[in-house]
Amino acid sequence: MNNRTYAKLCGGVTLVWVLGLMFVAPFAELIEGSMLLFLSTSAR
Amino acid sequence: MIKIISQIVGLLVLLLAATLITLKLKNQGADGPSVLFPGGKLVSGELYRGTEPDWSFTDDVFTIELQTNDPMSSRRIFVMESQGKVYVPSGYMRSFLGKLWKDWAFEVEEGGNLAVARINGVRYERVLVRVMDPSVVQGVAKKLAQKYAGGETPEAVAQIAKSVADGDTWVFEMAPRSS
Repeated sequence: MNNRTYAKLCGGVTLVWVLGLMFVAPFAELIEGSMLLFLSTSAR
Repeated sequence: MIKIISQIVGLLVLLLAATLITLKLKNQGADGPSVLFPGGKLVSGELYRGTEPDWSFTDDVFTIELQTNDPMSSRRIFVMESQGKVYVPSGYMRSFLGKLWKDWAFEVEEGGNLAVARINGVRYERVLVRVMDPSVVQGVAKKLAQKYAGGETPEAVAQIAKSVADGDTWVFEMAPRSS
């Protein structure tokens, strides 16, 4: 994938991702829950 | 192949950064915390004005929302009742993650100890007092083990008590502000 296409892909995916986090509560809760699980099992 | 892998990793790092920034900004002014990110001032819910409650009802409460005032922020936290008083813990205090994640506990220790707890939708104005007395810690450790560590076994209680003594876990009493 060339750099221009990659940049567009990153921008598009990030935009959709951020909008999902902001406006789709179950999605934000799923992501937060996954992060919490990772932190809980990784903390020393 | 290496370029594709690098691009995938780059996208994942970008998404992680976007997630952290978005969720932190989204929650910092909200009425209460989310699962992982601190919230803002607790504004909704009845403000309790009666006599000191019987805190044993918290045995059936998994987490509460705790607001500290200086600086204003709120988070979800465990709660334990012992000997008629109510306590909250803060773990990982000597870990790298703890130093980043548990800044509220350090701020309380430095004097910003006014707090508001929201339990079952009711807000309670309290003051946080760190507890180190082994006799008190023992009772709190028993409740902590019973509620959150799979049961009140001697090993679990001893591990929690040691964690408090070593400074890995801090325990705060949510004392009434009039005391």
